[in-house]
Amino acid sequence: MKSTHLSTSLVALAIGLLTVGANGEKLTDSLKPGQPDLKSASQLAFGPEGILFAADTKGAAIFAIATGDTTPASGSHPLKVEAVNQKVAALLGTSADQILIEDLAVNPISRNAYLAVSRGRGPEATPVLVRVKSDAKMETVSLENVKFSKAILPDAPTEGVVGSGQRQSNPRQESITDIAFLEDRVLIAGLSNEEFSSTLRAVPFPFRTVGNGTSVEIYHGAHGRFETRSPVRTFVPFKIGDEPNLLAAYTCTPLVRFPLSELRAGAKIRGTTIAELGNRNRPLDMIVYQKDGKDYLLMANSSRGVMKVSTDNIEKTEPILAHVPGGGTKGLTYETIKDWTGVDQLDRLDGQFALVVRRGDGGSLNLESLPLP
Amino acid sequence: MSRDRWPGIGHALILCASLTGCVIRTSAPVAQISTYLTVTVETNTVAVVIQDGLTVRWVKHRSEPGKMVVEIEGLSAQSLGALQRTPLDQDQWTEIVRVHVDPNREPSIAGVPPVQGRYEVLSDRVSFTPSFPVQPGMTYRVELHPEKLPGSSPPKSKPFAAWFQTPAPVVTPKTTVQQVYPSASTLPENLLKFYVHFSGPMSRGGIYSHIQLLDASGQAVELPFLEIDEELWNPDLTRLTLFIDPGRIKRGVKPLEEIGPALESGKRYTLAIDRNWRDADGAPLRADYRKVFDVGPPDRDPPHPQAWRIKPPSAGTREPVVLEFPDPMEHGLAQRLIWVADSGQHKMPGEVTLANEERRWSFVPAANWKTGPHQIVASAVVEDLAGNSIGRPFEVDVFEKIQSEISDETITLPFTIR
Repeated sequence: MKSTHLSTSLVALAIGLLTVGANGEKLTDSLKPGQPDLKSASQLAFGPEGILFAADTKGAAIFAIATGDTTPASGSHPLKVEAVNQKVAALLGTSADQILIEDLAVNPISRNAYLAVSRGRGPEATPVLVRVKSDAKMETVSLENVKFSKAILPDAPTEGVVGSGQRQSNPRQESITDIAFLEDRVLIAGLSNEEFSSTLRAVPFPFRTVGNGTSVEIYHGAHGRFETRSPVRTFVPFKIGDEPNLLAAYTCTPLVRFPLSELRAGAKIRGTTIAELGNRNRPLDMIVYQKDGKDYLLMANSSRGVMKVSTDNIEKTEPILAHVPGGGTKGLTYETIKDWTGVDQLDRLDGQFALVVRRGDGGSLNLESLPLP
Repeated sequence: MSRDRWPGIGHALILCASLTGCVIRTSAPVAQISTYLTVTVETNTVAVVIQDGLTVRWVKHRSEPGKMVVEIEGLSAQSLGALQRTPLDQDQWTEIVRVHVDPNREPSIAGVPPVQGRYEVLSDRVSFTPSFPVQPGMTYRVELHPEKLPGSSPPKSKPFAAWFQTPAPVVTPKTTVQQVYPSASTLPENLLKFYVHFSGPMSRGGIYSHIQLLDASGQAVELPFLEIDEELWNPDLTRLTLFIDPGRIKRGVKPLEEIGPALESGKRYTLAIDRNWRDADGAPLRADYRKVFDVGPPDRDPPHPQAWRIKPPSAGTREPVVLEFPDPMEHGLAQRLIWVADSGQHKMPGEVTLANEERRWSFVPAANWKTGPHQIVASAVVEDLAGNSIGRPFEVDVFEKIQSEISDETITLPFTIR
C-alpha cells in the first residue's frame, strides 16, 4: 500500500531501493524459491529490490515475495484503467461480482501497480496478485517457483478448539488492516474479531521471528479518553529528522505519531495525537509526498473526499491532550480535495501522480493516476 | 443469432445444461449454420466445434474438478512443428487463440483482457488451460484465428468464435441467521459488539448495507457500527463480529456531541438483517432476521470472578461442570478463553456451551471425570458485554495512570471432583 517517506528520507529511500546491504548481500538473497502458500491476500506494501509484502489475514502471516520486477520506469506516465474490477475479473475468467479488490500498491522501481484480489467471496476464495503495467496491460503474478519468505504472526489462532468427537475450528481471526515497509522492518496493524484491541507490530526483515504485538495507546481527543483499544485503520511510515516515525489514522480519525523506536515486543507505547479530523469519517488509506518543497499527507476517507494535510513542522505540533468537543477538528489543518471522490485505495505512483482505485458509475471501479494536489 | 452481428467470423453458441451434455441454441436453423460450422457433443467432452477440419474442443481437466481445457485439433504438421520449434509468449498466443468471458456475446470485446492461462503444444494439438475453474453460468468465447498460425500459408480457414455457456448455478436460499449474541433481550447502553452467527458460510464484500440498527420508530440509526473494509469474519465466514463504533458509545456522564450515541438507555432497538445478503453460493438468506432488544444503563464495572459460582459434577460421569456468572459474559471470548485443567494442570479436552443469556458456562469433558482437584481457568481477556475485562474497565480515564495491561494473565477457580 505504501512505501513513501517524507522529504528527509526521499533520497535515502531512492538509494535504499536500488543498493545492496553493507555486507554486499541483497535482501532477495534471504528469500528461498518455492510456492508461497497464501491463504488470502489483503494488504500489500513494497520494500526494496522489487520485494512485495503481502498480508495473509486467513493464514495469519506476512509473505515477502521477490517479484523480479526491477526494471526502473522511465519518465512519468499517467495511467487509467476504467472498470478495473471488470477487467481483472475477465482476466481471472469470472465476473466482477465474484471478485474483491483488497489493496493497491505501486512498485516504486518499475511503477507497475499491483492489486491484491480475492477471486470468489466465500471461504474458498482464491487469493491472486495482479500486475497492471504502465501501458495498462494486466497479468497475474505467478507464484510458482518464486523467491519468498514468510513470517507467521504470533498470537495466531491455535489450530482448533478440541471438542468431543469433532474438531471445531477456532473462530478468532486477526484482520490485518495495513502494512508498510520502513528501513529494515515490516510494520503490521491488526484488529481482532474478538478482543477490541489494536496491535501494531514491527517485524525485522529479513524475517527471523515476530515479536508479540505491541499494545498501542493513544489519546483520542474526540472521546475525551485514552483509547487503549482503538483500531489503527491505516498508517504511513516517515522520518522526522533522522528518527523513523509512524503516522497512524484511527477510526473517528485522530492522527497519531509514534517513534518507531518505541515499537518493541510486548511494550506499551504512547502515541502523540497531532490532529483530530472530525467525526463521521473513516480513514481508508494514506500516502505522504512532497510538493514545492513542502511535505503533505493525503488521506482517503469514507465521507469527505481526500484530505490534504500539511505536515510541515509536524515535530513541533502541540500534542492534543484535551477533549475536542462537537466532533470538531484540531491540531494539523487540512483541506479537502473535492474532486477526488470515491477513493478507496491510494498509493504514490511517482513524484507527480498518485494512483487510486475509485468508485465510478454503476458500481465499477477505476484505477487512475491523479496529479498530486 | 444472426451472422451479421459478428461479421467476418463464423460462430456457434453452445448452452450447457450440465457439464456432460450441451445443446446448440441458435435463432438460425442448424442446417444454415452448419454450412460452415459443425457442432457436436461427445462423451467426456463438453462441446466440439469444427470448421474446415479445425476442431475446438472444450474438455474437462483431467485432475482438477471445475477446470476446463480448450483444445485445438486438426492443425497442419507445419503449424504444429513451427509452434514446437519457436515458443510463443502470451501476447503472441492470444493472437492465434484466446478465451474471453463474454456474458453478452458482444460483437467485439476489444479492451477486455483474455482469460489468463497456460498454452501448450502437444504432438497433435494445442491446448489452453485457464488458470482458474470456470464460473457457473458464465459464457466464454473462444476465438480462433487460423490465419495467424505459423506455417499455415496460405491460410485455409477463416477465423471463428464459439461461445460456451457453463451450467447456471442452482441458487436455493438455505442459509439463515442462526443466532445473534449477546442473546439477552436487555443490553447495556455501552454494549461493545454483536456476533452474528449464520447456519452456513457467507460471502464477503459490502456487508454493512445489509445490517441496520433501527430505533423504536423503525428509523435507522446512522452509522452505528464500526465499518471495517476487511470485515471481521471467522475463517469459515459463518460468524461476523459487529463492533459498535467506539465514537458512538456513550462515555462517562457526558453525552457525545453532534452525532450522539448509537444506543440510549430506556429505549428499544431492533438489529435488522435483510435477506438479500448473499451466502457463499450466491443465494440470498432464507429470511430476514430481527433481534429486538431494550437498552439498560451502562455497565462500567469489570467482571469479578469472586462472584462466579461453580457447580462441580460427580466423579465417573460426564456431567458438565457449570460456572454461573451474575451478569452475561461476552460469548466469543468466554467460549474460547475459559477452560478446565485437571489435577496435573493440563487443559482438558471437551465441549464448552454458553446458555442462559451467556450467564451459564458449562463444560462436558471428553472422558469421565476423575476424583481430585481441578481448576476452571479464565483468561483475564474475558469480557462482559460492555468490553470490561476482568479487573479492567473498558474505559480508562484520561488523567488516570493506566496500571493494568493486556496480558496473558489468567484467573483460576479451583473445584474438587468427588
